[in-house]
Amino acid sequence: MKVDCKTILLVEDDQVDAMTVKRALKELRVTNPLDHVENGEQALAHLREPGRAKPCIILLDLNMPIMTGIEFLQVAKADPALKRIPVIVLTTSEEQRDVVESFDLGVAGYMRKPVDYREFVDTVRSIDAYWTLSELPV
Amino acid sequence: MADAILVVAADGRILRVNAAAVQLFGYSREEFADLSVEDLLPRRHRPNHAAQRARFTARPDSRAMGSGLELFAIRKDGVEFNVDISLSRLENGDVLATVYDITRRKRAEESLAAAREFSDSIIATMQESLLVLDADYRVVRANPAFFQTFRVGEEETVGRAFVEMHGGCWDFPEMRRLLVETLPSDHAVDAFEFRHEFPGIGSRYLRLNACRIVGSAEHRKLYLIALEDITARKTLESEQARMIRELERANEELKNFAYVVSHDLKAPLRAIGSLADWIGADQKERLDDEGQEHLRLLIQRVRRMDGLIDGILQYSRVGRVHETAVTVDLNQLVPEVIDSLAPPSHIRIEVAERLPVLRTERTRMLQLFQNLLSNAIRFMDKPEGLIRVDCAELDGSWRFSVKDNGPGIDPRHFERIFQLFQTLNPRDRVESTGVGLSIVKKIAEGLGGRVGVDSTPGQGSAFWFQLPKGSPDYKAASANPNDRRPGRDCRDPEARDGADSSHPCVLDAGNPCRHDGLAETSF
Repeated sequence: MKVDCKTILLVEDDQVDAMTVKRALKELRVTNPLDHVENGEQALAHLREPGRAKPCIILLDLNMPIMTGIEFLQVAKADPALKRIPVIVLTTSEEQRDVVESFDLGVAGYMRKPVDYREFVDTVRSIDAYWTLSELPV
Repeated sequence: MADAILVVAADGRILRVNAAAVQLFGYSREEFADLSVEDLLPRRHRPNHAAQRARFTARPDSRAMGSGLELFAIRKDGVEFNVDISLSRLENGDVLATVYDITRRKRAEESLAAAREFSDSIIATMQESLLVLDADYRVVRANPAFFQTFRVGEEETVGRAFVEMHGGCWDFPEMRRLLVETLPSDHAVDAFEFRHEFPGIGSRYLRLNACRIVGSAEHRKLYLIALEDITARKTLESEQARMIRELERANEELKNFAYVVSHDLKAPLRAIGSLADWIGADQKERLDDEGQEHLRLLIQRVRRMDGLIDGILQYSRVGRVHETAVTVDLNQLVPEVIDSLAPPSHIRIEVAERLPVLRTERTRMLQLFQNLLSNAIRFMDKPEGLIRVDCAELDGSWRFSVKDNGPGIDPRHFERIFQLFQTLNPRDRVESTGVGLSIVKKIAEGLGGRVGVDSTPGQGSAFWFQLPKGSPDYKAASANPNDRRPGRDCRDPEARDGADSSHPCVLDAGNPCRHDGLAETSF
């Protein structure tokens, strides 16, 4: 990622999926620290914690208990302090409704979690490559 | 015609007649002079007549018309006819007889009686309950069906005020409005349906037609009310509606079921796949060859299950999600599909020189050709494979076929291969989910068409699907608003309303389907 010191926030309830992301990032030698929370509500609390630096990117699952990814986006994108943080949806859902709703809520990308781990690494590699080139708001 | 007048003497001789009498009886004045009045009567009435004549002469009470007796006269030519006669005694003792020919009136009365009998028999036979009301809404008549249907007697009905009879059970607002507003304005009431509680027979759905009886005089209006008991039909209708709702709900649940199950199965599957991959990578040194092989098989099975779940999703999407119909030029689409499948060099694919241009959903067309062509490629067992895409017009349909010189299929499997998850090969030999043909079938049938296969084992197969050029079935199906209300796809941007997706396969004019030449596509 462009800003090495900044954290990546992973919002994911599935333990193995979270491990997958961590492992893929490690494998790709992405050195940004990673914070992991398990649902939208925890993500909001984490982001709003006083004194904590904002992450450079949020990797967001959609299907989560307590507060889903879409519900998280509805709140985060309406919050002037959070709305510029790029969010990439990482989900199982291929449903057009979820894709459309996510982009309506201003996500930066929408990636499908492949069943094959090797493909998953490729997906994360693409994300990393893109966000290494892209400018980010400071 | 003037009335016939005869002056008759007390002894019965005819003294004078007028011109009308000459015409009525057929005798000349001279002939009348020789006749007695009895000669003008039918023979059977003659014997008594002299006595009656004498009685009248003795007590000459003027005889008025229409006093009820059937009187007959006879003409010179022997024809009898109905008459009415008025008699008055002149001062000289002669009698002035005025004779009226009432044959016509008699006939009119007879035909009136016949007409009444005719209408009575109709009214009595009718299944519908009929009531005739007068201008004061009193019941003038009711037919047997009415008495039977409402289990009431004639005496408590006929002559009664409509809203008061039968304990006032006919007195309710809609009925009052009908009687007070609609009927007096000479408007007919057409198929007014209502449900009402009747004391004798319980709750009933009735259908009411009412009108003023044509020809009833302005000062004495009559209204006809026809009541049909439609309770049974209504019950059936609501039962049908309930069943349709249940079916729709079940269908909806099934669609959502496929979606939810597919998604929820994927998460653990992904975890299994990842963990197996990591064990293989992390424990590489500790696993022997057998262990590595088992992990490889495990990952392969994960991929296979992933394919099956994708198949379910795809299958459930067909018919659940509708795209906008667009112009689809198969002359472009088919080569595109072939290109994307990247057939190996030993397989040659020929495409008919001219394919039709359809107005339909592009993705569906893609899926049809993709599935048939990829099957033909995947199962090809000949060193020189030949696959041919063709099109023909048949009974107002397009019949597309994908023919190959592959292994062929035993006819006993023709049905099975179109069913979901049915394959003829062990999956380890040919990786196949068994979803493709069932999708082809679902799409073709969804567009109002059919699919099938002709095959000779060992020599090849020809899969075909037939699409109507403009299918009313499909129009009706996609005009159904429920089609746009699937569980999660309701805001799918691909999903459009029925109007857009209602023209499945419309040929653009001037681009007929010809198959008189084949062109090879280049790969």
